[in-house]
Amino acid sequence: MLASLTALFMDGGAAAAQRLQVDWGVQAIPSLTETNVVPGDRSLGELRIVQPMGMLDAATLGDRLRLVATLDFEKYTIAHGELAPGDWGEGFEDRRHPHTLVHQLMLVGPDLFGRWLRPVRVFAAAGKGFVPFGSDDPMSRPVVRYPVNHHLSQILERAVGLAGIRAGPITLEGALFDGDEPVSPGSWPATGRFGDSWATRLTLAPVTGLEAQASYAFVHSPENRPGAGPDDAKTSVSARWQRSRWYGLVEWAHSRTAGGAFVFRSVLAEGEVAVAGQHPYLRFEQSDRPEEERLFASPFRTRRPLFENAILGITRWKVLTAGDAMEVWSHWRVRLAPYVEASYLGIARIGGGVFDPQIQYGRTRGYQLSVGARLVAGMRMPRAGRYDRDVIQKMEMP
Amino acid sequence: MMRWVWAAGSCIVVALAACAGDSGSVTQVQSPPPADVVLVDTIPVAPNYGIHDQYLRDGLDIVCAWNTGILIYDVGNGIRGGSPANPVLVGSTTTVGGEAHNTWWFHNPVTNEAKYLFVGQEGPGSVGSSSSGDVHVLDVSDLTNPTEVATFHRNGSGTHNFWMDEPNQILYAAYYNGGVVAIDVSGTLSGDISSRMIDTVTFGAGNTYTWGVQLYRGSLYAIDMLSGLWQLHDSAGVLSVAAGGNNQTERYGSDLWVANGYAYTGTWGFFDRTAGVVGNALKIWQLDGTGAPTLVDSIITPDILTVSDVEVTDDNKVLMFSTEGGPNSGFWFYRLTEPAHPTFLAKYLVGNGIHTATFSRIGGKLYAFGAKDPASPAQFILDVTQLDQ
Repeated sequence: MLASLTALFMDGGAAAAQRLQVDWGVQAIPSLTETNVVPGDRSLGELRIVQPMGMLDAATLGDRLRLVATLDFEKYTIAHGELAPGDWGEGFEDRRHPHTLVHQLMLVGPDLFGRWLRPVRVFAAAGKGFVPFGSDDPMSRPVVRYPVNHHLSQILERAVGLAGIRAGPITLEGALFDGDEPVSPGSWPATGRFGDSWATRLTLAPVTGLEAQASYAFVHSPENRPGAGPDDAKTSVSARWQRSRWYGLVEWAHSRTAGGAFVFRSVLAEGEVAVAGQHPYLRFEQSDRPEEERLFASPFRTRRPLFENAILGITRWKVLTAGDAMEVWSHWRVRLAPYVEASYLGIARIGGGVFDPQIQYGRTRGYQLSVGARLVAGMRMPRAGRYDRDVIQKMEMP
Repeated sequence: MMRWVWAAGSCIVVALAACAGDSGSVTQVQSPPPADVVLVDTIPVAPNYGIHDQYLRDGLDIVCAWNTGILIYDVGNGIRGGSPANPVLVGSTTTVGGEAHNTWWFHNPVTNEAKYLFVGQEGPGSVGSSSSGDVHVLDVSDLTNPTEVATFHRNGSGTHNFWMDEPNQILYAAYYNGGVVAIDVSGTLSGDISSRMIDTVTFGAGNTYTWGVQLYRGSLYAIDMLSGLWQLHDSAGVLSVAAGGNNQTERYGSDLWVANGYAYTGTWGFFDRTAGVVGNALKIWQLDGTGAPTLVDSIITPDILTVSDVEVTDDNKVLMFSTEGGPNSGFWFYRLTEPAHPTFLAKYLVGNGIHTATFSRIGGKLYAFGAKDPASPAQFILDVTQLDQ
């Protein structure tokens, strides 16, 4: 066992066997963050280890079968969330929630029929993981700070069964899953709710490096685990460019909750370029957020389980983030990349409701600063959210 | 006068702080022994958002349990041999669209029928600006088989708490951003009864967002989350503003109860209207000879965010309010020997909070029924007879 692990490490983390190929990786980002957009009109700084991950990708049967597993240890490092004004979801506001320990555990058939159906390729996957909806998981993108639109543009950590077909530049996916979002970092999808929600995504990849998608998801009662809450109808359109030194993403997302009683919109654009060991990046987003009743015990937490379908209003967040990651050390598949990141945040009320950012934060504009380092051993953080063979075989971010 | 009340071991300290009519004195009262409030039973409710309200009449406990629907328990009626210590389910049903929030069982003195049960649906809304949800009418002639027979709908707003003028067969409904609505519920109710609206009124310097209404001595009192307590003229359902209003700006209003020539109103504070000022106040308003309200006192309960429901016993001796959002969430009881300045009697704290609370006399005893918030939603039934001595 030890010899095998040593061999794995020494040969760069990838072990090739006649019938089994295994790759692995670990990641952690120590991050010091400060912001003046804090409930109660104050500043707050925190040092946390965010996005601590363990990743395993195993392929067998001539790559007819893959196991894609990701453990997320945020349960232990950011149990009370990551300081990130504007971020929300799963009972958190202004802190990005910790993801579940078993972030992804998917059994994937990336090319079920091999050459029998060429040039058409059929793939399928099942387990706990990403729903074919929207853009890539923010963890697999250059900006460390999570976007406000995470819950508008991705659906993850669900019990999901999906199938897809690829013909030339076109990929069509469909999935059934459970609508309930995680209720804690240790939670599993609710028993009995598999299949109450569905999604479909159409992807077009006309030239190498360019990928555009449009997707739709119906999500039943995401915020009420027993299923009594309102439903979401979610739409996402995005285009992604990754070629040579360049990466870029533009996306538009739209969520209608409770038959349109609440509508949340988002636009986002981000890009990165690799220049002489530097990876400067930029992101702009404008995203809407529901404002919910916060707890007496913590202004960063909201009432869970939900008790009724009222919200306090909707805020629109404009966030401009600029940063740079520096490749300072990379040996034996171990990589150290310090980064510095700064965000400008603007907050506005839209529509009615009692929520007022001026009262909540004492301001309607502010900043967030972060410095830290991305520590990676083994495989880099893959593109998360796609199980098509052509994607998961190339799943490394620039 | 504004009093701050907090627990200090077994002792309750009442301090009088600076405010209108403040005497500046400080008093201490002993917390009553726990035996004064006795938990006799709890009824678990399915976590489909749980229980929001209950209506007690004729020994029946009508529970509004959101998507689980309306649950009718015998707690002393005799129809199933139930009691407060042993509630027995008589009948249940779900309403169209679910979200069953509140109810009123109409005892019609004109027809001597108790045929209709009005159910308020609380749909999605944005507090302070928008709301949705209809009034559903159930035929409960057969209590074991309630059946929905009619619906009242308004575009652009949704219903909240009810009051009835039973002799005149008028249902008054708080309608959040729709203000107050008066509905003719005489005769047979069937299908869409939206055309039965007699009148509606909105008020306030800004938006209207009305939580509850109560008829008292010929006036209809409305508590508005944004603009405070209003006195409305009511002439067979035709409504107009009489007095009050625009009299609360530091907190949002919540529920109300009017008795003894006073109105008692709660405050809602899951978002601060004024930075650092939460909904921890119960306000006491004196009604003058014309019924116009004037604020005379407030009770501040620390470590809560909201006073969510208010009620006074039928003998006008005991004031009860429910609280949510903090470690002092639960039932609070005050003696009304001096109605303008209630004195602390007892508290019964319940984790996660009590959303609504209702008194009922059953078998010569006084009970408080309360809707416990999720998680583990349930109805709490307390014997509070000793508080009413």
